[in-house]
Amino acid sequence: MDDDNSNALRRMSTRTRKVAPKMAAALGSSDNRSQAALARLEALENDNAGIEAVEMNDDDEASLDEDDQAYMQKRSKGTKRKTRQAKALENARKAPRSFLELLHEANLESLPPHVPSYLRAAVGPPSSTSRRHFCSVCGFSAKYTCVTCGMRFCSCRCQNIHNDTRCMKFVA
Amino acid sequence: MSNVVVLDNGGGFIKAGQGGERNPAVVIPNCLYRPLTSKKFLHPTTTFSSSPDDLTSAAIRRPIDRGYLINPDLQRDIWSHLFTSLLHVTPSSSSLLLTEPLFSLPSIQRSTDELVFEDFGFSSLVVADSPSLVHLYETSCRPCGLVSEAQCSLVVDCGFSFTQAAPVFQNITLNYGVKRIDLGGKALTNYLKELVSYRAINVMDETLLMDDVKEKLCFVSLDVERDLQFARKHGKDNLFRCTYVLPDGVTHTKGYVKDPEAAKRHLALTDGASSSEAIETKNETDQLGVMDKTAERKRVDLTKNEFDLTNERFLVPEMIFQPADLGMNEAGLAECIVRAVNACHPYLHPVLYQSIILTGGSTLFPRFVERLEKDLRPLVPDDYQVNITTQEDPILGVWRGGSLLASSPDYELMRVTKAEYEELGSARCRRRFFR
Repeated sequence: MDDDNSNALRRMSTRTRKVAPKMAAALGSSDNRSQAALARLEALENDNAGIEAVEMNDDDEASLDEDDQAYMQKRSKGTKRKTRQAKALENARKAPRSFLELLHEANLESLPPHVPSYLRAAVGPPSSTSRRHFCSVCGFSAKYTCVTCGMRFCSCRCQNIHNDTRCMKFVA
Repeated sequence: MSNVVVLDNGGGFIKAGQGGERNPAVVIPNCLYRPLTSKKFLHPTTTFSSSPDDLTSAAIRRPIDRGYLINPDLQRDIWSHLFTSLLHVTPSSSSLLLTEPLFSLPSIQRSTDELVFEDFGFSSLVVADSPSLVHLYETSCRPCGLVSEAQCSLVVDCGFSFTQAAPVFQNITLNYGVKRIDLGGKALTNYLKELVSYRAINVMDETLLMDDVKEKLCFVSLDVERDLQFARKHGKDNLFRCTYVLPDGVTHTKGYVKDPEAAKRHLALTDGASSSEAIETKNETDQLGVMDKTAERKRVDLTKNEFDLTNERFLVPEMIFQPADLGMNEAGLAECIVRAVNACHPYLHPVLYQSIILTGGSTLFPRFVERLEKDLRPLVPDDYQVNITTQEDPILGVWRGGSLLASSPDYELMRVTKAEYEELGSARCRRRFFR
């Protein structure tokens, strides 16, 4: 949620940080941070995502299992693979596509600049670049940034909670 | 053609009824739900807050994402239930007035038209956008007001899927002036869900429950810094702390606010003077409440099926005013309004600022208007007046406008009949609706 890579002139600490090599790789170019932030924002538009995903999987597996049994009785392996592929394709065609996919397909960028479109109706970035930061643990205004993941916290107590529960949990 | 079905197909609720009436006959959530006790997805017949069923951990499927119809199959399912068992209309002998968000994509428009004409076989269709309908309704409500005399207004719609400011001039939405923030009621509920899940109890599966929490407990803060200070206090001094009791599935299947009086205490906080008074009265009640407190403590320990909210109550709606706090690179609502106005002709600016109409379910947070006025005033030039009107029922405002349109003589001219659709196809029929 918190990414501070927008400001290039930000003064960085000169202290060398001890970071495990794996974690350093994960953090790389702070790309993971912005990715995690984007993923969080995406998640705000979800319906009951977890449940739905599970349910979809269940359906697929159930149908495949049935097919398996049917094929075991009758057909050879070659045709089985083919139909599975076809089935997957058909499923992909039938499955509702997300709005972002449809938006991408509509190719609104190609419209001339004076035509109002979904993309041009977006309000755009705020005029002031200052933003308030709230502690990710308790919600009050936060002064400090976690050096590993970039989320905010306000006190030592919150930092400990953050480290124990949330820090870098999203990379895995 | 006498029979017009007016259908405001929102992301959160479907509002449907016969044209010409004052209120929609049916308001249902636009989704299918599956409670834990069921294996199938069910059709909601009333709003969730008034249905008696146990909705704990119900899964929800919605046909609309970010305001746009992305799952026509699901929508067909919901509509057919709506038309046959709730509204009792026969599509082939009636006309449909459907709302659609602005800037709908051609592929979505095509699938909507297919749904209306080919699957249901409506005899004719009118597609309208919600800002112009709200404008229409407001002009008819106040025939001598500024909105109807100037024939122009700025409709601010804080809906379920997004928030947008749209200038309307002579019943036509000026689409070059429309500005949108990608935050709506759904995002706010999900944000609250995330906060509570991290800080108290995992409620990630309880969308419906958190919707209820949001509607009952969230409010808009007029001064965030000050309110954060208040929220830090302990015990009874804290005017914002509020307990929500989760359903236990035995004695009550709905969650409720433990102390509804306490939940309204924040309303006493208008400025510095009254707030100190409020605290004093709290101190008096403090001594009386000692006995209660110990009893309450015990109950908390025994059951563990409740959680406290303090600063979440105002930090969640705060996101509409400053999405940047969430890490979104988008301007807040006040700036959104200013940009929408600035995109229009300068002659319209003073009138638009004077006729801002608020609509949509997310404007129902207490103090929403005051806060918007407070944020907007510094951004508007001194010599322009700012006047914000609220609707009496912001959720139904669009539908009522549609009902008016359906009974007006213009309706006959606007509609596209099934024969025309079959002859010309979707894209050319759409030109009649200026889309």
